[in-house]
Amino acid sequence: MILTLLVLIPSLAILIVTGWGVVEHERAMKKIAESYVLDLAQSVAARVDRPRFMHRAQMMTSSRALDSFVLDVSLPGWVALVDESGNLLAASSRAQDVLPQIWQGGIPVGRTTLVEGPFGDTYTIAAIPTSQGWYVISAVSWSQLLGPMVRFSHLWPAAVGLLAIVGMCAVWAFWRWLIMPLLSLESEVSALKWGKDLPKPDDPPAVWELRRLRKVLYQLAQTAREREELRQRYVSDLVRVQEEERTKLAREIHDGPLQDVTALLQRILLLKQESWNERAEKYIEIAKESAVAAVRELRALCDTLSPPWLDLGLAQALTELTDRLARTYGVKIYLESSELPEVSKDIILAFFRITQEAINNAVKHGCAKNIWVKASYDGEFVVLQIEDDGSGFEFEGDVEALRVKGHRGIANMVERMRMIKGKIDVQSSSLEKGTTITCKVSFPFTGEETP
Amino acid sequence: MVIKVVLADDHPLTREGFKSYLEGKEDIKLVGEASDGESAWEVIKEQLPDVALIDIRMPGIDGVSLVRRVRQEGLNVACLMLTSYDAQQYVLASLRAGAKGYILKTASPEELLRAIEIVASQGVYLDKEVALAVEEPGFSPEQLSPREREVLLLAGRGESSKEIASKLFISERTVQTHLASIYDKLGARNKTEALLLALKYGVVTLEELLE
Repeated sequence: MILTLLVLIPSLAILIVTGWGVVEHERAMKKIAESYVLDLAQSVAARVDRPRFMHRAQMMTSSRALDSFVLDVSLPGWVALVDESGNLLAASSRAQDVLPQIWQGGIPVGRTTLVEGPFGDTYTIAAIPTSQGWYVISAVSWSQLLGPMVRFSHLWPAAVGLLAIVGMCAVWAFWRWLIMPLLSLESEVSALKWGKDLPKPDDPPAVWELRRLRKVLYQLAQTAREREELRQRYVSDLVRVQEEERTKLAREIHDGPLQDVTALLQRILLLKQESWNERAEKYIEIAKESAVAAVRELRALCDTLSPPWLDLGLAQALTELTDRLARTYGVKIYLESSELPEVSKDIILAFFRITQEAINNAVKHGCAKNIWVKASYDGEFVVLQIEDDGSGFEFEGDVEALRVKGHRGIANMVERMRMIKGKIDVQSSSLEKGTTITCKVSFPFTGEETP
Repeated sequence: MVIKVVLADDHPLTREGFKSYLEGKEDIKLVGEASDGESAWEVIKEQLPDVALIDIRMPGIDGVSLVRRVRQEGLNVACLMLTSYDAQQYVLASLRAGAKGYILKTASPEELLRAIEIVASQGVYLDKEVALAVEEPGFSPEQLSPREREVLLLAGRGESSKEIASKLFISERTVQTHLASIYDKLGARNKTEALLLALKYGVVTLEELLE
């Protein structure tokens, strides 16, 4: 930008100074021609005014002789003597041919006039009165008087003009192929979301070096994006595998140890029906209590890992979850779920985990006393909203920053919504106004990401 | 009168245990058993028992779907859910599907026999570990107003406060007020508990709950 101005400003300055120079030069030439013509006319007029002149003139028989006597000047220009009625009395050589051609009516007497000749030449002409009432007319052609200077004055602006045009073209080219592409590259790169966006791969008007630079940046951005995709896939895989493992483990506990301990408890209960001595009865009672405790613990373990009641549907899963968490934490949880469609297992799981995480966070970190969970469907999107009256936390929308600080909760929610191609919005501030988490996913799934 | 019973449970050891519970009881006769949902349906259809003991989680058809099928086919079989799970939503889902009772697998033989007798005689049995989490000794529920009863029933069918409000032409806030009053009167902490307690106290009947 500044470079362009650095080139542009001197160019313009040269152009202006040159223009001014040309004008001044033209004026100087005009002045020279004027004084020359006036001098010429006045000197002839002075000669004509001398008393001897009249005497001599009357003795001259031919006008030619008078011509040479009066107007014999070996200087450039033409001189003529006319009487008051315009009759030519005398003329210098060729003046008779030239003057009528450039003489135009109404030329004022006593000063000079600029006249354009028939052949594109410029003439300065002057008429001076003599004491006899005649007039001396003198004229000079600029090319004759100032020859090379006139040519120079015409050539100079042309040369400078050409130079200026070349300069302007250089500036334009500079702008078009260097500055503009550089500016657009700069704005593109500075607005680029690294790991997400790509710059334009090529910019044909740019100079080769810039195109090369753009290509390198494009490749870098592409690598960053691939790395980001890999990372995200890695995180999703982690979440997915973890979820699969939890489900598998929960099922194995349910179908294996839980049933085995139940069978054990049944036998203990059957044993209890027989009659035993006091000691044996005591042992049986302890065994029963242990078995009952084991069943409860295993059941709780299944629920922690992956509750089987998720199969019942979104509304039921959320009801069971909120009832349980309300009991566990001793807080009030208001669940509102209306007209929910039979959504996919993935959505149920995602919403279940997000609600679980959100309520845990609200109680543990925000010390919330009331939590509102709302699940709704508008025919296009299933929306889950979790709001609490806790202390909230400083959140400016940067999930990665939270993850770096070790707060994986929000990052996990974002990940879960990303996996079902939904959107999540977290509103919170540390102004004791609580936290609101809104999740939105299109249903039935249209193949497009939720806007 | 002998009560005919079918037992459906996929775990052989627990199934054996329940069989032992029922053995030697004069008024109960085990007429068939199954280890998955599909064969359970076959056995129930064939034997038409008075009571079917059904595990909620089974390979093939799950317990809740099996109960729904029994009701839809119009079979006069009282289904008693037999499960490892204490999730109240399971209880509610089973009852809405048409089950007459819900008992945990950890229940004692006496409890199981009592549950069978109750459902066989058209009663409702809910395991105390699931339904009566807040039961205090000597607690007796206050009478619900007709409006409160209506609200509770609609809530029991899984409708949201908004839907209840629009059905009864009242505001959502009024629905919330009714619900709060219902919880208070029944000693419940949430909708599910209120409903299960209402069933227990006979404030609402199973039939009113059906899907």
